[in-house]
Amino acid sequence: MSFDYNMILRYYPELLGGAWVAVWITALSLACASMIGAVVCIGKLQKHGAANRLATAYIDLFRSIPEIVLIIWVFYCLPLLFDIGIGRYSSAIIALSAYGGAYMAEIFRAGVQAVPRGQVEAANALGIPVFHIARRVVVPPAIRRMMPALVNFLTELLKATSLLALIGVSELTYVASTLGSKTFAYMEFYTAIAVLYFMIIFPLSVYARRAERRRLRRTGN
Amino acid sequence: MSETANGTNGGDPIIRCRGVVKRFDDFTALDAVSTEVRTGEVVCIVGPSGGGKSTFLRMINGLEGIDGGEIVVDGIHLPGSKKDIQRVRREVGMVFQSFNLFMHMSVRENLILAPMTARKIGRAAADERAERLLERVGIGDQIDKYPSQLSGGQQQRVAIARALAMEPKVMLFDEPTSALDPEMIKEVLDVMVELAESGMTMLCVTHEMSFAREAAGRVLFMADGQILVDAPPARFFSEAEDERQASFLSKIL
Repeated sequence: MSFDYNMILRYYPELLGGAWVAVWITALSLACASMIGAVVCIGKLQKHGAANRLATAYIDLFRSIPEIVLIIWVFYCLPLLFDIGIGRYSSAIIALSAYGGAYMAEIFRAGVQAVPRGQVEAANALGIPVFHIARRVVVPPAIRRMMPALVNFLTELLKATSLLALIGVSELTYVASTLGSKTFAYMEFYTAIAVLYFMIIFPLSVYARRAERRRLRRTGN
Repeated sequence: MSETANGTNGGDPIIRCRGVVKRFDDFTALDAVSTEVRTGEVVCIVGPSGGGKSTFLRMINGLEGIDGGEIVVDGIHLPGSKKDIQRVRREVGMVFQSFNLFMHMSVRENLILAPMTARKIGRAAADERAERLLERVGIGDQIDKYPSQLSGGQQQRVAIARALAMEPKVMLFDEPTSALDPEMIKEVLDVMVELAESGMTMLCVTHEMSFAREAAGRVLFMADGQILVDAPPARFFSEAEDERQASFLSKIL
């Protein structure tokens, strides 16, 4: 069996289109997941009370359901339960954001808790208002510390978009499978998308490693 | 403030502690501590570790809560509301054993953050103040460096300047030289002596007996959560009036 490059050359606009869909769904889901994660993280950082319990429940719930089940559930079951229509793309973003929110909350929390206690103590001792302590003293080093975990999660999210093929979202994997069933050139298309996924994700990992090294050089911690 | 009787040495009391208690679960860290510090006084707190020195210091600016009694700082009563605690903190500077500089900020940013956010002074005035204070502690040329590029002694001097940038009425020092290499201790103590001579009210938890001798007006000896001795340094170091003080002095002198 030979590898038919012409198949890829002929259908490359469809493949790039699929990659583009995967990328923007990832971006939009990451944005929503960050907002959910920030709120859940603030809840989780409360030492006790309802906010902490709610945040803990949210994280436990969405980390215990496989992404693929969540995606199918939001697309097929949620509309039936509430008698509403949710499109494929909306379902995709809702499911990935809900799932991502749980992970982002934990990433944010780890970042905030990695900031040495003495930093906050010194800011408190100076009488700096709480809002400014959060914005100027805690968040910047927290973000730098969470960058590796954040980029790692970004790559997980991007890979999770391939599961959206199951609900007919025309992202990269879906495009490959439909082109494959049309032309029977499965090997060519799945090889092509493997390369495409790699080309998107690998530079992200390299970037994260470099950013981490830069941070260590500059602040020494 | 109408404190009477012995109100002759120094100014009015700026810190008054009455029956201050601190508990950590079953452990009583401070057991009814009472004392006063007058404006311009330099008070050194010495004693064995675990005796409650740092805890006492940290209660004065609200870093530790108060479980009994009260502390009055510049007329503000603690325990108090969050707002009261913020007011106290703006008037009381603190220097930590481990410096606690903001590592992701330049020296300049470390010095202007609190004045700009807690005192609401403008950028130009904050910059000017930062430059002046760094000159004062002898590291004016390091203003655009990051803390990790400085030696321990330089970092602690930045930390002192950062606290001074709030123009506090009282400065608290929590073992400011304990984390320093021996050759850097003097440069920090020199800054503290200069500060004491300028009339700053200071409370220093320290193991530097030379500093206590040279700069302190009073030495408090704390052990088991109580102030056991309160004496001028000359008397404190020459004649022990407490058994534990005698044993402490025999170990460090």
